[in-house]
Amino acid sequence: MITMLAIEVSELVKKYGEVVAVNRISFKVFKGKVFGFLGPNGAGKTTTVEILEGLRQPTSGSVKVLGYNPSRPEEASKLKWKIGILPQDFNALDRLTVKENINLFCALYGNRISAEELIKLVDLGDYKKVRFYKLSGGLKQRVGLAVAMAGDPELVFLDEPTSGLDPRSRRETWKIIEGLKELGKTVFLTTHYMDEAENLSDEITIINKGEIVAHGTPEELIENYGGGKRLIIRGDGEVLNVLLGETGEKPVKVGGEVRVPFNKPSEAVKILEMLSLKGLNYDFEVEKGSIEDVFLKLVGAKITEEGELK
Amino acid sequence: MKRTLTLCKALIINWVRSKSGMFFSFLFPLLLLLVFGSVFGGSQQVRYSLHVLNRDLDSSGNPTNLSEALIEALNSTKSFNLVLAPSNVEPLEYIRNNTNPFSSNVRLLIIPEGFQERVIRGSFKGQIGVMITFMEYSLKSLSGNISSKNKTQIRKGLEEMKSVNQSLPDVKGELTLLVDPSDPNNNIIKGIIYSVVNAFSFKLIGGKEVVTLKTGNYTVKTYTPVDYYLPGYIAAFIMTNGVMGVTSLTTDFKRRGILKRLITTPLTKMEWILANIFSQTILAILLTLVMVFFAWAVFKVTALPGFYSWILIFIGSILFSGLGMVLGGLIKDVEAASAIGNAIAFPMMFLSGSFWPLEIMPTYMQLIAKVLPLTYFSEGLRFTLILGYPQGALLDFVVMGCLAAIFIFLASAVTCWREK
Repeated sequence: MITMLAIEVSELVKKYGEVVAVNRISFKVFKGKVFGFLGPNGAGKTTTVEILEGLRQPTSGSVKVLGYNPSRPEEASKLKWKIGILPQDFNALDRLTVKENINLFCALYGNRISAEELIKLVDLGDYKKVRFYKLSGGLKQRVGLAVAMAGDPELVFLDEPTSGLDPRSRRETWKIIEGLKELGKTVFLTTHYMDEAENLSDEITIINKGEIVAHGTPEELIENYGGGKRLIIRGDGEVLNVLLGETGEKPVKVGGEVRVPFNKPSEAVKILEMLSLKGLNYDFEVEKGSIEDVFLKLVGAKITEEGELK
Repeated sequence: MKRTLTLCKALIINWVRSKSGMFFSFLFPLLLLLVFGSVFGGSQQVRYSLHVLNRDLDSSGNPTNLSEALIEALNSTKSFNLVLAPSNVEPLEYIRNNTNPFSSNVRLLIIPEGFQERVIRGSFKGQIGVMITFMEYSLKSLSGNISSKNKTQIRKGLEEMKSVNQSLPDVKGELTLLVDPSDPNNNIIKGIIYSVVNAFSFKLIGGKEVVTLKTGNYTVKTYTPVDYYLPGYIAAFIMTNGVMGVTSLTTDFKRRGILKRLITTPLTKMEWILANIFSQTILAILLTLVMVFFAWAVFKVTALPGFYSWILIFIGSILFSGLGMVLGGLIKDVEAASAIGNAIAFPMMFLSGSFWPLEIMPTYMQLIAKVLPLTYFSEGLRFTLILGYPQGALLDFVVMGCLAAIFIFLASAVTCWREK
């Protein structure tokens, strides 16, 4: 039977002594999709990923990855040929060049794909003769992405692929991840960056303290937990006073603008008509809710740049 | 196997491109061989400095004939660099003035005033004594050929000689040797002077050598200290590369997540272990070739590794890279791994007879050496590489083979290919 599921996790539990790292989580990942696994540091993301990769044994629950049970050594050995992994803070052999490192991993997978193809995929042509230790963090992550693709995998695990990178390197890494999706690969993306999960993922699962808090497409999550849309209106003092005094919703004044939440488009039109009828000059835009709002609503905290809860 | 060889090649390239790795793996052993080989490997005879204070002067202030002859006898041994002290100097003051902490110890031999006279008187009594003994022996053994009249006269003469000899005082020429008790060469120097003095006395009383000692080499080849150092250094640095190199590589790969990344590929645990063993074996072969060539080029030591030498080097590489992987598997911290690697490798290097013969070490240290694997590696390489006598290394092969099997088993047990 051909299944469309790449990963199926049911009631997964992982304990380290008395500490419960993952508590009865269940989710499914469909083939060819980018699955965002979002949560702060210590939420249980890496533990879950390492169980899926066959690196750790679960305490209980069932896991199927591409039809294999990774907790069984003989099945994990077969699974290794079908998955690619970019671990957190990827490192390679320091004194080998980019090409030599990629060649090494290609050879470990039986040279299914050439190092040159991978170098092209991650746009490292200018650096292929540079030794690994001389690369910046962003370039090292790109080598990691190439290495993750060395076995031409069906499923790629990317564990915090842009953690610690500058904005430009993050954007470049995103492009490569989008390229993987175009190649038809299933991507399991672990991240603590809200924008990364929102921009790249077809589906997002939010995990906190070892438990799944929410699951759905970004749109569904924002729809259900993101607090709808906001009308952002900028104008002189009178405009702001009118808005604060006369709108039925709960406007919030931020600097020289007022944000007015609304659920239906007719509500926004009504507010704008009122301002026009009073002959006031203003300027406006409509802002959607974001995954950050979803997380804030569900967890009651934000995630910092470093991945900590604030 | 292809995966093993690919990883092995990568590990070697990574190692060879490391400046510190190259220094400690190749350059440092060569420097040690050069330094130790030059200091201890020369063919020149060792000469000890000896100061001589000759107070035995004649009426015109010149040294007496016998005191001068004694000094010449000491010089003829070619064991001393003699320094003549002024005859009127006070001995302890002379030693104080000539002691230099950066040079050798001052040893002062004092020839006292009246030495010649006392020696002549002492040798006269000795010569008469020898003559009495000789005549008594002749009288006894040749009694059938001597008439009874002559016998009586000889006996009478003997009695008179004995009487005269007894009346002579028992005098000797007494020499004094002042040395620093901490000087490690004291016994050697005393022994040489004692031999010279004995021979000098013997000649003075007219004795002839009836026992002689001839020395000769019992092998066709003449061995130099470098012949000893070369296999010891090769063994010692194969050991340090294995114990310290593999331990730090494993812990570094663990700390930086490289090992975890390799684990998630189709690479198996045994392929990882074999890649480490093969890379260490190739480094060991390169080290051996470089050391052997260097020893030949600089010290003219001919030591061509044969089949048994290579087998032993392979076993040594397995053993010590196995030990390195055991330590790397047990230790998580890179700094701790480096410290523990050093704590194991350095004492083993110095206690195993790699740098000097076990015989010069105290008995308890020799017992410790007997339980160190490097002792068997060094000894085995001496038998196979230098002596060309692999049969002598049978015990070394057996001990090392067993230890290699044990360490590889342990390495496999402690190398974690799956987290708990």
